[in-house]
Amino acid sequence: MPDDRDARRADRDAAGPGPDARDAAARAADHAGIDRLAATLVPALIAKLGTLNVGELEVHEGDWRVRLRRPAGASATYGRRVTDRPSRTHPGHEQHGHAPGTPEPHRSSRALPGPGHGASASAAASNGSGPAGATSPGLAPVGPGRGGEPVTSSGVGEGGHGPGPSDPNADAAAQIATSPAVGVFQPGPKSVAGTRVRAGDRLGVVDMLGVPQEVVAPVDGIVVGVIVDAGTAVEYGQELVHLQPAVATEGR
Amino acid sequence: MFRKILIANRGEIALRILRACRTLGVEAVVAYSEADRDSLPVQLADEAICIGPADARRSYLSAPAVISAAIVTGCDAVHPGYGFLSEDETFAEVVGAHDLTFIGPPPPVLDRFASKEGTRRLLGGYGLPTIPGSDGMLRDDEHALAEAARIGYPVLIKPSAGGGGKGMRMVRTPRELDSAIKVCRSEARSAFGDDSLYLEKWLEDNRHVEVQVAVDRYGQGVHLGERDCSVQRRHQKILEEAPTPALSPAARADLCERAIRAVVAAGYENVGTLEFLVDGAGDFYFIEINCRIQVEHPVTEMLTGIDLVATQIRIAAGEPLGFSQADVQLRGHAIEFRINAEDPAHEFRPGAGIVESFHAPGGPGIRMDSHLYPGYEVPPYYDSLLGKLIAWGPDRATAIARGRSALDELVVDGITTNVEIHKALLTNPTFLDGRMTTNLLDRIGSAAFLAAAART
Repeated sequence: MPDDRDARRADRDAAGPGPDARDAAARAADHAGIDRLAATLVPALIAKLGTLNVGELEVHEGDWRVRLRRPAGASATYGRRVTDRPSRTHPGHEQHGHAPGTPEPHRSSRALPGPGHGASASAAASNGSGPAGATSPGLAPVGPGRGGEPVTSSGVGEGGHGPGPSDPNADAAAQIATSPAVGVFQPGPKSVAGTRVRAGDRLGVVDMLGVPQEVVAPVDGIVVGVIVDAGTAVEYGQELVHLQPAVATEGR
Repeated sequence: MFRKILIANRGEIALRILRACRTLGVEAVVAYSEADRDSLPVQLADEAICIGPADARRSYLSAPAVISAAIVTGCDAVHPGYGFLSEDETFAEVVGAHDLTFIGPPPPVLDRFASKEGTRRLLGGYGLPTIPGSDGMLRDDEHALAEAARIGYPVLIKPSAGGGGKGMRMVRTPRELDSAIKVCRSEARSAFGDDSLYLEKWLEDNRHVEVQVAVDRYGQGVHLGERDCSVQRRHQKILEEAPTPALSPAARADLCERAIRAVVAAGYENVGTLEFLVDGAGDFYFIEINCRIQVEHPVTEMLTGIDLVATQIRIAAGEPLGFSQADVQLRGHAIEFRINAEDPAHEFRPGAGIVESFHAPGGPGIRMDSHLYPGYEVPPYYDSLLGKLIAWGPDRATAIARGRSALDELVVDGITTNVEIHKALLTNPTFLDGRMTTNLLDRIGSAAFLAAAART
């Protein structure tokens, strides 16, 4: 990333006295390049890296370069919130810093009582075993310069339960059903650990001022467990239900 | 006083409200969209809650999301800031229906002042001169043509809803009127969801002067002087100052006293701003009232030493104002420069991107209200305001000198800002003489204005 920015700055400096000196054609070409990257290349790369057992992919297109890299110990960047801090009002927050798919024992024991508990815990443990675990790639895009902007532009305006425009962990988040609204979470029958679900199935609702907003499964798979207790206040985009994707399950 | 306030806004004003809450000892929760996850107010807040995606219609403009966030975080009041839901009386009502307090005028007061045309009639009845305008909303083209002929060209087409200069057009001939109305209607419909338009006489070479007022629930009200917002680009304010160089001290006092008398008599409550146009002869005409805190409120804070946001919160909590007109002392001169992510070389096109470095100027009389920090990514979804630089001095010349020095010191690298237009203004003879009118920039075009300044 820094090298890209340096390159852009050098580009500007070379072009003239200020950042405005770049001519319109160069800008238009840049915009077209970014659009192309956002629309086709980035999603394809994310999918590719998710299936490969490598740490990094890099592709050059025109003047732009896209590099996708698994963070060392993919779990570190899994929690979405850079700005997270302990909060009295977000009792569901504290788990965000944890490894993917390793719910806190006390939380999972409350959320997943009964026979489903052991199974889900072991599934979770294998899931979070390390950066090479193909089921939790924890991708973070690096470069070109503007961080996640291409991803952002393609993510806006889509369904309320996507990984979120600025979420670099697009693939990782696909295993988590997130909150479509700010409100109070009520898990449904299909959120019980071990339940086989299809993408789009209703896992529960978030009650926003008395209007239930559906929490849906982002992928086909098996429910590992709920991350947040019933009746908890949740924010938009908060991780609610953990899923083991069907493809990965069959691959094992 | 409130226990906990939800700040339903973003950027510099969210930060400003957070500071006021801290000063008052009230807890605050910053509500944010996904695009603002890494924003400074979110980072500095004790608590923050994501209310929706980047699209403002599903976050900052979503009444259910904002109210639900206030409820689940245990807030008892909502501060809307400016823009977004700040002047939506339906939102204020729904907030009240959920046992929360809307920080601003109470819903019945907002309702009374909701229509610009109704407000002009109301305050006109309490002694404020108003600009000759159409008789109510324009019904159709014939009505518009007849009213324009009666008022006399040029006329200004204005939307009844909304503000900030959006959806307004000036027309000089009947031929222009027809197509301009079509454009204004569609703009107003998409921006405000209401395409009612009315006409006003266009005053050539006018100045925009506004009076800041604060009125408590018990009918105690003060004015806090006026602000001159004549420096505009396409009806968008970019520089504001106080006192106005347009009026004599006696005329300023007369304007402010008539404004506060009228709003108190009309039952206004909380902080608010009455906007006036002042013509070349020094006559003033009331145009509209803004029932919220305004972007340019720091100008008044610099002159009075009164925290307007804290005052707004205290009044909403039902506290008495606690000071009288005699306690309001206006000292010196202040100028605010709006620093926008806009490219003056390209028609002020709004920009976005990463702030590679940021340095806020300092020194005597300098204040910078900004949410920037190095590494911050300015999202492309919202308005382009990056911050406000305010320069105070004992007199206008000192404020200008300090402003010039501070603008030179300001560093915002990585994104293009409009700072050049401010530097150009501070070399412009018309501005330096205090003779600027609202068409100062648009008359010759901002590009030509910048080029002219570069030659001097």
